[in-house]
Amino acid sequence: MASSSTSSSKKAASSLKSFIKDVRGAKTLADERAIVTKQSAKVRTKLRDDHLSHSKRRTNIQKLLYLYILGEQTHFGQVECINLIASDDFVDKRLGYLSTSLLLDESEDLLTLLTNILSNDLNHPSNRYIVSLALNTLGSLTSIELARDLFPDVQKIIKHSKFNREPLIMKKCLQCLAKLITKDSSLLEILDLEVIEYCLDSNLFRMNHGVLLSISKLFQAILLSYDSISRNNDQYEIENYNTKVIPFISKYIPTLFEKLLGLMNDITPEFNVQGTADPFLQCDLIYTLTLFFNFPKEIDDISKHGDKFINVLIQVANNTSSTTGPGKVVLYETTRSIFSLKNFNETEMKPLYTLGINTLATFLKAKDNNTKYVALNSLVKVIPYDPESVQRHKKFILNCLNDHDISIKMRAIELLFAILNNGNLIELINEIMNFLENLYANQFKNFNDDWEKMIHLIIDSLIVAFKKFSIAEETGNPSDDSIWKLKILIKILKLVGNFIDMETINDILISFNNTENIDHKFQLISRMLLISLKPETLMDEIAENNIAWNIVSIWCLGEYSDSLLLNKNVAINHEVINEFTIASYLQKMDESYRIDKDVSAKTLIHYLLTSALKLSVKLNDKRCIENLRRLILNRTKDSDLMIQLKAVQYDILFNQPANVKKVLLSAMPIFENSSASPSIDTAATMEIKSGKTKKNDLLLDLLDYSTDELQEQKKEKPANLLQELLQPNTTNNNSSSTEQQQKPIITLPDDAKEIHSSENIEVYSKLISHEEGFFQMELYFKPLISINNLKTFCAVTKTQKLTLGQLFCSTTNNDTFPKHSIIRQSLKVTGTGKLKLRLKLTFESNDTGSELSEQFDHKFDQTL
Amino acid sequence: MAIQFILCFNKQGVVRLLRWYDMCACNGNGSGGSSSNNNDELLPQDLIAQIYRLISARDHKHQSNFVEFSERTKLVYRRYAGLYFVMGIDLQDEEPIYLSHIHLVVEVLDAFFGNVCELDIVFNFYKTYMVLDEVFLGGEIQEVSKDMLLEKLGTLDRLA
Repeated sequence: MASSSTSSSKKAASSLKSFIKDVRGAKTLADERAIVTKQSAKVRTKLRDDHLSHSKRRTNIQKLLYLYILGEQTHFGQVECINLIASDDFVDKRLGYLSTSLLLDESEDLLTLLTNILSNDLNHPSNRYIVSLALNTLGSLTSIELARDLFPDVQKIIKHSKFNREPLIMKKCLQCLAKLITKDSSLLEILDLEVIEYCLDSNLFRMNHGVLLSISKLFQAILLSYDSISRNNDQYEIENYNTKVIPFISKYIPTLFEKLLGLMNDITPEFNVQGTADPFLQCDLIYTLTLFFNFPKEIDDISKHGDKFINVLIQVANNTSSTTGPGKVVLYETTRSIFSLKNFNETEMKPLYTLGINTLATFLKAKDNNTKYVALNSLVKVIPYDPESVQRHKKFILNCLNDHDISIKMRAIELLFAILNNGNLIELINEIMNFLENLYANQFKNFNDDWEKMIHLIIDSLIVAFKKFSIAEETGNPSDDSIWKLKILIKILKLVGNFIDMETINDILISFNNTENIDHKFQLISRMLLISLKPETLMDEIAENNIAWNIVSIWCLGEYSDSLLLNKNVAINHEVINEFTIASYLQKMDESYRIDKDVSAKTLIHYLLTSALKLSVKLNDKRCIENLRRLILNRTKDSDLMIQLKAVQYDILFNQPANVKKVLLSAMPIFENSSASPSIDTAATMEIKSGKTKKNDLLLDLLDYSTDELQEQKKEKPANLLQELLQPNTTNNNSSSTEQQQKPIITLPDDAKEIHSSENIEVYSKLISHEEGFFQMELYFKPLISINNLKTFCAVTKTQKLTLGQLFCSTTNNDTFPKHSIIRQSLKVTGTGKLKLRLKLTFESNDTGSELSEQFDHKFDQTL
Repeated sequence: MAIQFILCFNKQGVVRLLRWYDMCACNGNGSGGSSSNNNDELLPQDLIAQIYRLISARDHKHQSNFVEFSERTKLVYRRYAGLYFVMGIDLQDEEPIYLSHIHLVVEVLDAFFGNVCELDIVFNFYKTYMVLDEVFLGGEIQEVSKDMLLEKLGTLDRLA
């Protein structure tokens, strides 16, 4: 029998070999596919054949495994694998277990078929290899049912089988128990604690690392069960866990200390890896002990060893060499343990923290990237524990920026931003800028997603850092701070502008706007514009897709063109920066983003339109202004609705008289709170909330869509400017809160003439100015009763044009005007002829709630 | 503290060995490893292809041997001649020790086959699995002594 089996197994093996050879020998992918498909079909039919000989069956299963490695479908062989386990032949059994553990996963229902076979094999009376195979399979392929059914069998091996003096079997049993407990923590209820006692206290396994390792794993599984035990909410289970199991295993903490420290002096060559005794076991013991001392519940049996544990950690750290690989592994595990400890007070931990950070810092100096990688990774996490200690190793962190590995660079950047403060701001930011410049100079070689992630990280962290830190303390001059930051921002725009998102652009624009040192600011801006406006350099110095740079340039032109051209303190190359180039730059931008329709391009167009409008009062050259008007006009047919609406509104504004526009388009004020710049959405909802539905407000809504400048302007220069443009005027619906804050107290001037009086209200007028064709005056209303919702309607003769201002009242902030309050409204008339006014007032009485209306005519002495 | 999977492929990306200890690794967000109707679930083959692309693109002189792969998996890998050995581990695990695990496995393979090469692993894949199963149990290391491992493996090998 023996000879026939060897010859057939040889044949079988050669059949497997030839299959593997065929696959390897395939010249093309198609060839390979054909071979694999053919074999797969063959195996499938063969396995279905009930009369197949043992050895052939085995070969086919082996082929199936090879198909599995190749990534082919193998589910059709699953039952066959389980059948193979049931065979009496050890070789069959072994292959069966291997294929089962590979081809099945724990969700499979087929696993229930295994229960009996596994139980038999675990209890096998004579063959230790079969027991060990079963343990291996159970450990790697466990469903909850299997775990519950077979847990007692595994315990039984430790307690009663004849192999219970063999470390090889014992370690597998313990590890299997750990796996089963991880699978289902309620098994702790039936865990026989004598098992642990037997393995640890008897001298049988004193120095066996495999057994120690598996005991350590078992402890880990028990300690990590805390969460799931508490979740199960079974009182008995919790009671058993907290009062029996945990105190019991806590007894062994000193033993674990002893084993761990014993390894320090262990010089047996068997476990020695480059001068460190069994780093695997050391790490595992440290991890287990850490789990003990981080146990979520206060247990006296554990906490009484706290001091000793700190001592042990220090000893391990001091006695381990940091120059060899395995030594570093142990040291790293030690620092991980230090920074994860939660149940100690700060004075106890302080020296440990310093020790940990210094250990990590020595890792930074290492040549190999793996060590640097883990060191940076950990340092980022431990900064909060001891920022100053990390600070001391700044130099080494900076060195890591020069590393070739992107993930190391990324972590170094993260770490640098984390240790940033007022004192090192200049130094560190300059280093980071150098780093970016190098990237830029290399044309972003090998660029991929990781790089992009990193650049985003730099930009975002920079913006946050600029809000948080200042160099003012260092230099003693507060204005230096904003200028320096502006310089950095311009550099950032230039280098990586195409990575900046729209929200960040807002932040950058606010920084531009809020910089108060005008001369310096203009100097920087003019340098920036020099690059933008010079046509031939545009291509090489600034990437074409650098949308952030373009937006900022456009915005600066709209804001500062006039002041920049007139400013005497800043030397400007007028050959490059003049009205003509400014206008043509805007046209060029308009041209280049004509087709592009992504969100950032659209944002750019919004900025472009606003700048074009603003420039209409800032430039003098008629041709340039006409070009800008055309630019806006063209966009009134834009396919994007928001752009179209804005262009239409701007077109109307564009044609307004210069004096009106000038006020409306004046420079932006300083932002009070730059961090809370209102986003488009919130601005829009605010408008809706305040219930503005009137036509003139809609215009406002459109104007401030996505342009922060107009948004702000509206706040500071209230909406009456726009309302002046539009008739008939209705007021009071716009109670913009900011305008109320700054208005002076309004009183009735002495020289005001009464033009109307009734029992409810008196009306006065006061002449402000009177020129040829232009007449300006103020109307004063003095209600004699408490009224609300006052509206004034005003008409002049057909030859004249009337502009009404908003109602102002100093004694109230809402629509209600108390008795004897004074309400002011400005009024402008242009045109010719006698000045005659018809006024209609509507309001509600607060006392009676009734709606009242009064109408009267008044003839003035003046003629336009 | 457990290995999710062990994977071995050559420079061309042909898989030579793979063993899953935790199939959840296929599931990008780690929720419900067994729910097969989850769209985020990757086929093992796609996952391996992703890992291969990621690792083969890395610079082996200058880059570390650790890669963050998904929301619950880090890769620890090492190249030996033309073969990559890759382990998927939990995010909170310590990377360097797993690198030592890989090295231990390779050393044992080397001693077991006697100057191991790719072809040994290709043609004797079932023996390679045997080695893996003596070093690891359910994704946890169970034996670290090379002598002990080789002794046991020698016996097992003779049983065939």
